[in-house]
Amino acid sequence: MSVKIERIDACRWRIPREGDMRTEGLVFASEKMIDFLRQEQALEQVRNVATLPGIVGPSIAMPDIHWGYGFPIGGVAAFSEDEGVVSPGGVGYDINCGVRLLRSALTVAEIRPFVQQLADTLFRNIPSGVGSCRQDLKLSSTQELKVLRQGARWAVEHGFGNEEDLLHIEEGGTIAGADPDLISDRALERGRAQLGTLGSGNHFLEVQEVETIHDPAAAEVLGLFPGQMTVTIHTGSRGLGYQVCDDYLRLMQKASQKYGIHLPDRQLCCAPLSSPEGKQYLAAMACAANFAFANRQLITAWVRESFEQVTGKGPGDLRLSVIYDVCHNIAKWEKHPVKGREMTLCVHRKGATRAFPPGHPDTPALYRQIGQPVLIPGDMGRYSYVLVGTQAGYEETFGSTCHGAGRLMSRHAAKRAARGRNIEAELARQGIVIRAAGRATVAEEIPEAYKDVMEVVDVVQQAGIGKIVARLRPVVVIKG
Amino acid sequence: MASYRLLEHTADMGIEATAATLEELYTQAAKGLIAIIFEDAGGTALSDRAIELDGSDLADLLVRWLNEILYLIEVEHFLPCRFTLEPIQDHHLRGIVGGFHFDVENVRAEREIKAVTYHRLEVIRQGSDWLARVYVDL
Repeated sequence: MSVKIERIDACRWRIPREGDMRTEGLVFASEKMIDFLRQEQALEQVRNVATLPGIVGPSIAMPDIHWGYGFPIGGVAAFSEDEGVVSPGGVGYDINCGVRLLRSALTVAEIRPFVQQLADTLFRNIPSGVGSCRQDLKLSSTQELKVLRQGARWAVEHGFGNEEDLLHIEEGGTIAGADPDLISDRALERGRAQLGTLGSGNHFLEVQEVETIHDPAAAEVLGLFPGQMTVTIHTGSRGLGYQVCDDYLRLMQKASQKYGIHLPDRQLCCAPLSSPEGKQYLAAMACAANFAFANRQLITAWVRESFEQVTGKGPGDLRLSVIYDVCHNIAKWEKHPVKGREMTLCVHRKGATRAFPPGHPDTPALYRQIGQPVLIPGDMGRYSYVLVGTQAGYEETFGSTCHGAGRLMSRHAAKRAARGRNIEAELARQGIVIRAAGRATVAEEIPEAYKDVMEVVDVVQQAGIGKIVARLRPVVVIKG
Repeated sequence: MASYRLLEHTADMGIEATAATLEELYTQAAKGLIAIIFEDAGGTALSDRAIELDGSDLADLLVRWLNEILYLIEVEHFLPCRFTLEPIQDHHLRGIVGGFHFDVENVRAEREIKAVTYHRLEVIRQGSDWLARVYVDL
C-alpha cells in the first residue's frame, strides 16, 4: 500500500493525517533516502504508529529509518500519561540496546604497535558470538535479580568500574521502577549466562581514532582531541531482553483486545499506560534495560583490563573513562513542553537516541553547557559520529535523534556482494583489524550493507535536531 | 512436497515453509530456523525433548513453536534434528524433538536469532497445501 508523503523542506517530510491516523507523520530524510524508503514498508509503519491512542505530536521517523517490527527502526512517538499506550513493539526485542563511548589518554599512534595483540586480547576477554560467556562470571539467581533492579550500579558495586562511570550513563545506569517479580523464569534463564557478553550480528566493540573534530569547543568539554584513541561498545540486554519483549507481546495482544484498541499490525499490540498491563510492561522493561546497562558496564571493565594487559600501563595512564552511554530501544517517562504546557509523556524511542539540549537537568553536569552526548555508530569500514543534543531537537522531536546508519542491503545481498572478496584484507589495507566469531558476520556486515552514516548525521545537523562534534574511525573491530 | 526457503529482509531474515500437513509445515519452519542459525547443521538425534504448546491461533502457535526451538538451542545448547509431531488440532501442538547437545566452542553458530516475530506472520491454506511465512529478528 503506498503512503502519501509531502515534502516540507530539504530534510523534512510529512505523512498527512488520513484514515485511522490520529496525528500526522514527520520523517527526517534527504530526497535520496525517501526514494529508498518508498520501496520499503517503513513509511507504512510510521503511519501505523500514528493510529495509536493518546499519541502526542507527530509519529516521527529519523533519517536512519528502516523496516522494523511494529514501529519502524528509527521511530519516535510520545504518548500522554492519561490517554496514551505503551507498546513493546515501540521498544523492540533488544531492550536498551545502546552505545557506550570511552575516551582514553592515549593516541592511536601509541597503540599502533599493539593492535594485533589488542584485537586478540579484546576478542578473548570479551565474550562475543552465540553461546560464549566468561567462565569466571557465574551469576547466581539472587545476583541476577539485583542486576535487574540496580543495573550498572550493581556492576560498579561488584568492582566493575567506578562511581564516576555512573554519572555518564543515561539515567545513571539504573532505570527506576524495575520489578524482577514480573520477569519470567525463561527470561531469567536466558539472561543468566549472558551478562557481560557482546552478542552477534550488528553488535560490536571498536577501538577508534578521533579522525575529525567538527566542534572544537564541545570536543574539549567531552575530552576529545584529534588522533585520540576511543572505544565504542554496542550491545544490549541479550536473551533476557528478547524474552521480556516476547513475553509481553503475548500479554499485550490480549490487552489490546481487552481495551478495544484497533491494531493495524499485530506487532503494534499495546496497553493503556494507566492499565495494569501497561505498568507491568514498563516495570519489566526497566529490568531488561538495567541488565543492558550492567552488561555494557562489565564489558567496559574487561576493555580496561585488556588494555592494561596489552600495554602494561595502569588505569592512571590509560584513563579509559566513560564519555556517555545511550539507549537505542527504550520507552521512558519524560517531561516535555507541548504547546506551551509541560506534559508528562511516555516517549518511545526504537532505534533512536535521546538527545537532550544544553541546560537540561538530565544532561550530566559536566556536559550541561554543550548538551547531552549522542553516539552514532556507522559501519565497520568507515566511521562513527559523536553529536550533542539541541534545543530545536528538544522542541521538535521530544529531544531525540538518529541511532546509526541503518542497513541498506539484506544479509543475502551483502553476502553476494562479499563473495570472492577478502573482507579482512580489504579492511587491513585501510588500517582496520577485525576479529569476528561467526564466518557469516563479516560478509553480512560489510560497509556497503549500510547507509553512509555521514549522510544520516548530515540530515540530523541540517534539520537542527543534533550537532556534530567529532568523527571517529575504526582501528580494531570485534564482531560477534 | 514439503520444503522451506529463507526470505530476504533488509535487516533480518524470514522463513517460508510449504507442506501438505500442519505437522510437516511446522517441522519445515523449524528446519528453516535452524538453517539461519547454523547454516550447515547436521547430526544424529541422541536424546529427545517432549514439547507441548498452545497458541491463540495457528500463526501464534508457529511463533511459540519456533521460540521453543530457539530456547532449546540457546539455553540448553540442544540442537534438534528430528521432529515427530502429533496431528495439530485446536492450535495445540504436541510432539517429540530429537537432537543432540552441542559444544558452543566446536559447533559454530553463524547467527543469533533474537526472537521470532509477528511481523507479516501467516499460516494459510494454499490449494491443497499449507503455507507459513514468518520473520525473525537478528
